[in-house]
Amino acid sequence: MNPWNASTPIYRQLADRLTGALLAGDPAEGEAMPSVRTLAGHYLINPLTVGRALQVLVDDGLVESRRGVGMYVQRGARARLKRSERQRFMTQEWPALRARLHHLGIGADELDWKIR
Amino acid sequence: MNPTPNLIEGRAVSVRYGRGKTAVDAIDFRVAPGRVVGLLGHNGAGKTSLMKALVGLLPSSGELRVLGLDPQRERVKLLESVCYIPDVAILPRWARVDELIALMSGLQPRFSTDRARTLLKRTSVGPRDKVKALSKGMVVQLHLALIAAVDAKLMILDEPTLGLDILSRKSFYEMLIDEWCDGERSVLISTHQVEEIQPLLSDVMMLNEGRLVLATSLIDLDQRFVGLSHDAAAAEQIAAAHPLLRYRQAGQPAALFDGAPPAHVEALGQRFQPSLVDLFVALTRAPEMNRTVG
Repeated sequence: MNPWNASTPIYRQLADRLTGALLAGDPAEGEAMPSVRTLAGHYLINPLTVGRALQVLVDDGLVESRRGVGMYVQRGARARLKRSERQRFMTQEWPALRARLHHLGIGADELDWKIR
Repeated sequence: MNPTPNLIEGRAVSVRYGRGKTAVDAIDFRVAPGRVVGLLGHNGAGKTSLMKALVGLLPSSGELRVLGLDPQRERVKLLESVCYIPDVAILPRWARVDELIALMSGLQPRFSTDRARTLLKRTSVGPRDKVKALSKGMVVQLHLALIAAVDAKLMILDEPTLGLDILSRKSFYEMLIDEWCDGERSVLISTHQVEEIQPLLSDVMMLNEGRLVLATSLIDLDQRFVGLSHDAAAAEQIAAAHPLLRYRQAGQPAALFDGAPPAHVEALGQRFQPSLVDLFVALTRAPEMNRTVG
């Protein structure tokens, strides 16, 4: 019933989840984020924790808080997010993956590159 | 701007019963508005006694103010503005749901019949159902709907989910978060289901043999306690640094520190965020834990 990983703060995990959704276009740029109460009820977590997670997105420049109205996804948020995710893949994930491919002796021509 | 007054303020609060037995031993604590406070402790730790003292059902010594009132001297007034479900809560088995609603509106000046009906629409409880025909989970949902329909600032729940299956517990927590927590109202909730309640909490109070061994917000807790997983070879050096607790996590030896351990100790392992369950075990020194599955 508690789906959260015990070794990372829940607000961090929720922030990651919301960021992942933004990258997938949910919600789209310029649109409103779900309210704190909606998210708290949906994920069954304390509203203050939800507020903290949303603050991470504000600090990352992904959403903006409009006084009295709520949180909105910033214009250009997806493109910026994609850039930083690409950077992370190139500098962190790819070297690890390349080392693993090398270790297993798998060449580029053996991999299936078709997107289904 | 004045800071918002605390809903509960306790200084050196003790609760005694029988001859010289101390259930709660000189504890200092407060509950601010807009919080969800988990009251954790083993059976006999003093949770129920403390909750009873908060609503004036048990005498206490020290200074205690609940919603600015003295629970013993102003109990009637207090009970009008606090929602309380005791650990032995029962609803009359013969009663029908709409009769209970009528009863509440006669007894409780701040009770809203409309609100109770709206809350019950969330559940599968119908207005013409009799209490004795409802499952245990439905009775608890009904009870929560009845007290959440009272316009109040503070809810005190003594092990409300005890004996409920996982779906009923989930519905209960959903109603609590959706319908009660509005950023101003607070709830103090005691439970043994530490692991599953953690995400709902903003604060935690841990009682051990009547003493308050921890009272903190979850945010501070994240920053204060440090877990270190390490190889068996480092065990002696880790032990020498006096951790609160040494245990195993996913088969790996681990230690829990209050505050960051010295750098040379931290270098012996991998830092992680200890869970509330780990802390509970460390601070209450009990061998068995009611870990919930799910």
